[in-house]
Amino acid sequence: MGVEGETKSVATEQGLSANGAQEEVGSGENMAVWVCGIDDLKMKPFKLPSTLGNDEVRVRMKAVGICGSDVHYLKHLQCGDFIVKEPMVIGHECAGIVEEIGKDVEHLKVGDRVALEPGIACHRCDLCKEGCYNLCPKMKFFATPPVHGSLAQEVVHPADLCFKLPENVTLEEGAMCEPLSVGVHACRRAGVGPPTKVLILGAGPIGLVTMLSAHAFGSPKVVVADISPERLKVAKELGADATVLVSTDVKDVDKEVTALQEAMGARIDVTCDCAGVTKTMTTALKATRSGGNICLIGMGHHDMTVPLTPAAAREVNVLGVFRYRNTYPLCLDLISSGRINVKPLITDRFGFSETEAKNAFERSANGGSSIKVMFNL
Amino acid sequence: MAGAAGTDQKVAKHESNSGTEFGAEKNGKKFNKDDVGDENLAAYIFGIDDLRLRPYKLPPVGKKDVKVTIKAVGICGSDVAYVKHLQVGNYVVKEPMVIGHECAGVVEEIGSEVKDLAVGDRVALEPGVPCWDCSLCKQGLYNLCPDMKFFATPPVQGALAKQVVHPAGMCFKLPENVTLEEGAMCEPLSVAVHTCNRSNVGPATRVLVIGGGAIGLVTLLCAKAFGSLQVVVADTHNERLSVAKALGADAVVLISKKDEDMERELKEIQDAMGAPIDVTCDCVGTRKSLTTALEATRSAGRVCLVGMRESNMDLPIAAAAAREVDLVGVFRYRHTYPLCLDLISSGRVNVKPLITNRFHFSQQEVKDAFKTSAEGKGAIKVMFDL
Repeated sequence: MGVEGETKSVATEQGLSANGAQEEVGSGENMAVWVCGIDDLKMKPFKLPSTLGNDEVRVRMKAVGICGSDVHYLKHLQCGDFIVKEPMVIGHECAGIVEEIGKDVEHLKVGDRVALEPGIACHRCDLCKEGCYNLCPKMKFFATPPVHGSLAQEVVHPADLCFKLPENVTLEEGAMCEPLSVGVHACRRAGVGPPTKVLILGAGPIGLVTMLSAHAFGSPKVVVADISPERLKVAKELGADATVLVSTDVKDVDKEVTALQEAMGARIDVTCDCAGVTKTMTTALKATRSGGNICLIGMGHHDMTVPLTPAAAREVNVLGVFRYRNTYPLCLDLISSGRINVKPLITDRFGFSETEAKNAFERSANGGSSIKVMFNL
Repeated sequence: MAGAAGTDQKVAKHESNSGTEFGAEKNGKKFNKDDVGDENLAAYIFGIDDLRLRPYKLPPVGKKDVKVTIKAVGICGSDVAYVKHLQVGNYVVKEPMVIGHECAGVVEEIGSEVKDLAVGDRVALEPGVPCWDCSLCKQGLYNLCPDMKFFATPPVQGALAKQVVHPAGMCFKLPENVTLEEGAMCEPLSVAVHTCNRSNVGPATRVLVIGGGAIGLVTLLCAKAFGSLQVVVADTHNERLSVAKALGADAVVLISKKDEDMERELKEIQDAMGAPIDVTCDCVGTRKSLTTALEATRSAGRVCLVGMRESNMDLPIAAAAAREVDLVGVFRYRHTYPLCLDLISSGRVNVKPLITNRFHFSQQEVKDAFKTSAEGKGAIKVMFDL
């Protein structure tokens, strides 16, 4: 594995001991969890820049959640067009405590608890200036190669991307703002509001935060579909108005569309495809009402053969959702005000060591009853 | 595709040459002379490639209806498709049907409650009559009404006839300086207006139009009328690109139907635009054209699917979704006729060059007109003058 070879040279630069012995937390170095190869996680020092930028803060990490993309990088060293070519610190859903502030930082002080929005956009290109900074071609995003992630004891980050947690919001809830942001952005894109009846395909963490967001945006009815009865049970507990068990067989689509429409009891205005595979897109295209919106959030299949034309002939819009923009303040408010409760989504907790990291990723990769696996540092 | 209408090629069970003059069955009842009282004639589809002029008995003029003497009717690709296949999408011609829907004429008679029109008024007819009561209609999305009755979408009779009866509310008076042919052109132009509305074309918008047929061309004209900064048109035929250029396209790009050419074509298209493409209108609707559209459009841009050539398509949807390129379908139009008439009347859109072939209303000319339209080549809009 080419990456392994590079590990050793990087290790020397990073100050790993010559025999590659595992470094311990508390050795004085900033330790982080690195992807060094397929299924190869190592805890190693992570050197931060020696001087803090005027607009930056140094944050002590306290809570980091694992995302499906983190697991994907670990298993495949690749996510879409992003390839891990050298050891990379993993993790991006995070919150922590401000340790040091840059000269020009005014809205934060040492000791503040903050949620970190992972992506640093350029703020200069047309997309950024238009407000669509999530689509910035020069985006630097935690744990999207070649940018290091934040599953570390400390990171340095622009202060404007660190959002102070309200008093009653925990650090874990701060970390949950990241996946919650995806749900919030999807609801905004699709125009979810008090009249909107929403169908959610896929009851994983993203399907669940999308459901919570839809209700918070005023949706009167949210139906959730999944292939796993276990996940549907969780969805029901978290407030799904109805749940529908579906299969992975494309032949079942028409039958399932009827079942979904019956479960909604009315026309489906918005469908959020949180799986993003041919079958779910086909279901969405058939189930959504004329003039409705489909949000494609999940990134399962790259190319899909789908019956697009009949849906286009009913003016069903297909809206892509890529990460989020301008969502953190709203997420913190939704959590703080109690309109959204993300606590039940955190099902597994781990501490910060190499062994714990390996076990945590294993647990996350296995899915099942696990929704969000969280590190407490 | 005879199968679409049963085992016979002819939609009618039998058409005898002797005996009753109009022997075709319609709903199990033979035509007889009593049905021909007012000698209204229409062009019917009787089977594949089988167009016949036959009497067309009109319903009575309701309180809110008008009777219109039709003067101009354009042929649409969907009309040709019905003649060739007896089917478009899920709509199947099961019995003889009057064809044609792009029309304008002169008001002959008005219902008792009609206030805004008078006998002698020249009008453009918006073909579709929705139910006005369902939730989609009430929201203004009447083009999507499930009970829509649209000229020449089976089982509703079309308008290629001497006269039709139509709700007065769907007949729009032509400004003095707008001809009846231009009135008929409001129908395809409406598709373009609706497309530009759906994709938010405005002064800052750079638009790529894929497909230089009648719809691509009205979309070009409309995008310009909406203030578009720049419009590039792509097509597989040089003749169509010449027309596009003459009609104001800022640049044209020749493309093929072959996948291997896509990468090169994407570069040529992007070079032709010289800046990120905000909106792409796919007026063709094949896998290749839509894939080109999805890949050519900038992040956070919009792709309008206007053309409906293929149904199931293998598309790189995830890649487009990951750039938040919205895929927006366009089905006919809504609330567009007044604007179309204004665009034409004010000179902001000139549809006259699109009318390339003209025919009169006779059995032979109807056949010839459809043949010309189906062949494509230099024909953009084939128009009947009645």
